[in-house]
Amino acid sequence: MTFGNRHAVLAAVLAICTGAVARATVIVPADLTELVAESTAIVHGRVVEVRAEWTEGRRAIESYVTLAAATYLKGHLGERVTLRMPGGRLGAFRSIVVGAPEFREGDEVIVFLGNHGPSIPFLVGFSQGVYRVVVDAANGQRTVIPPAIMAAGGEPLRLVRGDGRRPAPTIEQFATDIRGLVAAAEAPRR
Amino acid sequence: MTERFQRVLAASLATLLVVGAPLPAGAYLKLGGRVDGRTVQLRWERLPARYFIGQGTANVTAAQLEGAVNRAFQSWQDVPTATFAGTFVGFTSASPSDDDGMTTIGFEGRPDLDRVLGATRILTNEATGEIVEADIFLNTTFDWSAASGGEAGRFDVDSIALHEVGHLLGLGHSAIGETELQGAGRRRVIAAEAVMFPIAFSAGNIEGRTLRADDIAGVSDIYPEGDFRDRTGSITGRVTKNGTGIFGAHVVAWNQRTGSLIGNFSLSNDGTFTIAGLEPGPHVIRVEPLDDGEITSFFSESANVDINFLGAFHDRLVIAPRGGGSDRTEIAVRPK
Repeated sequence: MTFGNRHAVLAAVLAICTGAVARATVIVPADLTELVAESTAIVHGRVVEVRAEWTEGRRAIESYVTLAAATYLKGHLGERVTLRMPGGRLGAFRSIVVGAPEFREGDEVIVFLGNHGPSIPFLVGFSQGVYRVVVDAANGQRTVIPPAIMAAGGEPLRLVRGDGRRPAPTIEQFATDIRGLVAAAEAPRR
Repeated sequence: MTERFQRVLAASLATLLVVGAPLPAGAYLKLGGRVDGRTVQLRWERLPARYFIGQGTANVTAAQLEGAVNRAFQSWQDVPTATFAGTFVGFTSASPSDDDGMTTIGFEGRPDLDRVLGATRILTNEATGEIVEADIFLNTTFDWSAASGGEAGRFDVDSIALHEVGHLLGLGHSAIGETELQGAGRRRVIAAEAVMFPIAFSAGNIEGRTLRADDIAGVSDIYPEGDFRDRTGSITGRVTKNGTGIFGAHVVAWNQRTGSLIGNFSLSNDGTFTIAGLEPGPHVIRVEPLDDGEITSFFSESANVDINFLGAFHDRLVIAPRGGGSDRTEIAVRPK
C-alpha cells in the first residue's frame, strides 16, 4: 500500500482511536481555566533543590522540591517555595509513584500550587499542574506544551495531536494567558 | 452517551468490522531506568505477587474492594501470553502509603492529590529493578462504586483497580487515547484504546474493565509466556526533525488486518523507537507529538521531549516479521 491515500488512512486511524471505548483511570482531567481557579499560587521559576527524605517513622519516601521564584502569576509564597512530592531515591531503594512529575535541579517550570491551611503546597491537578519550559532547538524559543483551553461558550474542541493550529506557546504568551484567566476569575460579577 | 459520540462509535465500529477482529498487539511503556549506563526494567522476580487489602470507604467495603482487586489481578493473570500472577494474602490496617514491605491496596484520604483517583507506589531495588513492594491507594476524596453495573456519579473501583494493577506489575502509561474540551470549560476523555491510558473517563462509566491488545502486549513483553517473542515481531526506527533525532515522539502502528493500534515512543535523543509484541505483518505508522496533555505522566525526564512538530505518516507500510525486527525505518516530521 502506498500513501497516495494518506488522508483516508489518517481518518481511519483516528476513527479507530475514537471509537474503541476503553477506560484508564488515574487522573481526573482539568483544563487550564480550572487549574487557574483552583490554585492559590502560580509560580514561574527554576528548581534549585530536590531532596528525598523518609517520612516520620520511616514509613515512606517523599521528595521536597524547592523552586526559586522568578515571577508569580497568581498569589505569592515568597522568593523560594517548596512543594512535596510522593516518592524519591534514598540509598539502594527508589520509591516510584507512577505518573508523578519528577523534578531535577535546573528545571524551568510553571507550577500551579494549592494548599490546605498551613501545610506544604501541593501541585493542583498532580501532573497537570506542571508546565515545563523547553527550548525549541530550531529557533531558540522557550515554549510550553499547548494548554488545554478554549473560548467560553465555544463548541467542544477535540484535541488532535500534531495539529498545526495548536502551536506550542512561548513562555511569554502562556504567562499572558494565565494572567488573563486570573483577572477574569477575579473580576467582579453582577 | 452523547449523540455525537454514538455517531463516532458507530463509524469506528464499522471500520473495525472491515479490518477484522483485534488481535494482541502492543502500545505500552514499561517502567524502568538507567543505572550505571545500563537499562533496568522493573518487574517482579518472585511470583505470585502477594497483596493485602486495606481500608474500604463509604459505599465500598473492604470485602468489595477485595473482590474488585481479585478480579483485576485475574484479568492480568488470564492473559495467555504472559506469566504474571498475584495472590490475596489477607486484610490489613496498614496504610497503602507506607513503604513497609507489604503490598497493600486500599482507600485513603488524599485531598492534596486533588485530581488523582488512584496511584501506585512502587518500591524497587534500584540496582536490579526488582519490585519489592507496590502499594495502590484509591482516593476517598471521590465517590466510588463497586456495583456490578456501576453507578451514576461514582467512579468504578474495578476499572481503576485494573489500571493500577497494570502499574503494579511494571507497566507505565499508554498514550492511545483522546480528549476534548467542552463548552463548560471542562476536559473529558472521548476514547482510549488501552486500560493504561492515564486520564479518567467520566464517573459512572464501567467500560474500562477489559484489557485491550495494547495492555496484553505490554504484560506479555514483561512476563513472556513460552514462545511469545518468537511468535510476534517488532518495528524499529527513528524519528527525525530537520535531520536530527527527537525524543518523546509518540509512534503508533496500525495493523490493518487485525485492527490493532500499536504505539510506543522514541526513547532516546537520537529518535530511536521500538514497538515490540506485534502481530506479524504490515503496519501503517503514524508519528505525533504529546502536545495535548501532561507529558510528565509518561516521562520522568520530560524536559527534552519534543512536542513542536506536525503529526505525520510514514510513506510506506512497515513489516513486523515473525520472531524478529523490521528493517530500520526513518520517519521525518516537520516543525509546526
